[in-house]
Amino acid sequence: MKLVKPQTATTEQDGPKLSAQPQPMLPDRRKAPRTWETPPAPVAPPHLDDYQSIVGAAEIDELRFLAREPKGKTVKMVNSTAVGGGVAEMLNRLVPLLGELDVTTHWDVITGGNDFFEVTKAFHNALHGDEYHLTRAAQEIFLAYNEQNRQRMQFAEDMIVIHDPQPAALIGSKTGSKKDSPARWVWRCHIDLSNPNPQVWGFLRPFIEQYDAAIFSSQSFARQLCMPQYLFYPCIDPLSEKNKELDESFVQKVCDEFGIDRSRPVVTQVSRFDRLKDPVGVVQAFKLARKYVDCQLVLAGGGASDDPEGALVLKEVKEAAGDDPDIIILDLPPWCALEINALQRASTIVVQKSIKEGFGLTVTEALWKGKPTIAGAVGGIPNQIIHKLTGMLVHSVEGCAYQVRYLLTHPEFAAQLGRNGREHVKENFLITTNVRRWLLLRRILLQERAA
Amino acid sequence: MTTTAQIPQLRTPVKPFYFNTSAHLLRITTQKANTLAELLDALRECPDDSIFQHTFRTLQEHHFLREGFSNDFAHWALAACNEPSLAEQLAGVDVREFTSLGELRERFVQIVEKHLHLNPGDASRLAEETFYFCAADIVMLPTNFVAETMQDFAKGLREVSVHSIHHHFIEARLRLKLMSNDFSQWLHEDVGLTEAARAVNRIDIYTATLEGVRGQIVRIVERALM
Repeated sequence: MKLVKPQTATTEQDGPKLSAQPQPMLPDRRKAPRTWETPPAPVAPPHLDDYQSIVGAAEIDELRFLAREPKGKTVKMVNSTAVGGGVAEMLNRLVPLLGELDVTTHWDVITGGNDFFEVTKAFHNALHGDEYHLTRAAQEIFLAYNEQNRQRMQFAEDMIVIHDPQPAALIGSKTGSKKDSPARWVWRCHIDLSNPNPQVWGFLRPFIEQYDAAIFSSQSFARQLCMPQYLFYPCIDPLSEKNKELDESFVQKVCDEFGIDRSRPVVTQVSRFDRLKDPVGVVQAFKLARKYVDCQLVLAGGGASDDPEGALVLKEVKEAAGDDPDIIILDLPPWCALEINALQRASTIVVQKSIKEGFGLTVTEALWKGKPTIAGAVGGIPNQIIHKLTGMLVHSVEGCAYQVRYLLTHPEFAAQLGRNGREHVKENFLITTNVRRWLLLRRILLQERAA
Repeated sequence: MTTTAQIPQLRTPVKPFYFNTSAHLLRITTQKANTLAELLDALRECPDDSIFQHTFRTLQEHHFLREGFSNDFAHWALAACNEPSLAEQLAGVDVREFTSLGELRERFVQIVEKHLHLNPGDASRLAEETFYFCAADIVMLPTNFVAETMQDFAKGLREVSVHSIHHHFIEARLRLKLMSNDFSQWLHEDVGLTEAARAVNRIDIYTATLEGVRGQIVRIVERALM
């Protein structure tokens, strides 16, 4: 077993710092990995035309036609954070693209004290099904900050989109603050509401039911509500650091630095060190498969340095891996998108053996790179992996081990899965598809009102 | 001596062909099924939009698959209910044989009813996954392509999105209420290429990807231009 964990080593005064200290745990033949110790400067977001080479000119033209009507209607997006987290990342890409299509889109972020975010964090976990006792004090904190933000913000746009539960009460009370503006209000729920804590859901529901439409990331996440509910799959940006095409020389360099032998098959799982991602199960499946096929396992993740539970899981993974030299464990900082991209591209097979999952964007990333993918049949993964057509779904360690063996010994079938998987992502899970969905929703809701 | 009436003439189209396309937004409905009996109930009661979504529209969403995917009902019967015989029958329903969603719905209802009549024990067995009924909200859009000539038509066919191909070639029969498609109608009525129109209408959408279908249409049109 090899453990690679970037360590602090200041090499530059300004800008990102590189880490390059040799690790005592590394075997001698390995070089020290060099990863950014601090986040690199953000890259300028791509323009709409940059996507033409990926999805085709006709698709981009369709977005332009869709954006034309209803003319001049504006959009506001509201969420709880400007940086960090999937929603902010998505809005950072989506808002400029809508702007390029002449759909004026404002993005506002709610503010709140620590007490507010403690309450909303608890709400978030409770809506995912955790036990939680909703107190009067928590309700008051939630409502007070929502009211404060509602007073501060303007709602002059034609379509107001509220992301997640934190700002859900911006719509106002039942007595009708929403109607202060003629806008159509949309609640975009990014979390799994299939089994919510009844107290918290009961508290939020009266607010949610005032919206004109709701959006969920999976059919199974939706609730029985009185307004139309739409399905917007999460998406990836094919031009982001994590997904853009890479020079083969860079992929090789990353593999060399991480000690990966590309002359032999590479099986990879990219995910946080979290029990719900079952990294120990992946190690077990790898060990079963390797009785029959030669391969290496790469477990690339993060979360062990800033999360006590992550550190515990990493320890369990290391114990399960033992001293196996073909199991490479990489605890990477969150800004190593290019390295993750390279690892996925260098893989023969990608695994995502989750036990519970939201949508599983690491699966989307692997499929986009044309990789034959094996994944647990949970959460949003079956929306992406159609068994035996765009990938392989598994339910157990043994099933995962068998599929690794099968795909490594049937490379033509594996390659076809990879090709299908990439097309599936191109059709359904790219950011351009989501731009299309937002334009469609704007058109349907606002033209309906005009009618 | 042959007459012009006997030989189809390649002429300037009477009317141009306007390439359009349609965009769909997926709506989650309140219906779902955990057993085949529930599927049957929902099939009887769901809106036409849901029948459209799980048949016509799902073909478009999975247009890159050449085999093994026909409609969502068949896929669920196999993947979640492990009923290969029922799945085969459901997969055998060719949407192009239907010009109304009501008739198409009735065909699915008949197949599931017959299966449950012959296999009553299957009715209440829990599926591994829930089938969620969705529906499609549709917006029709123009494209930049208008064909005034056959050459324009071939160029448009090559360059429009697969959504446009789906719109004209597969969804069209619901609009036309004919066992045909927009391309064949235009080739026959406005260009006089009846054989080419027939050949286009005979293309099998279940054994080719939508890009493959596009390629076959282009080849037929190019042959007609020679």
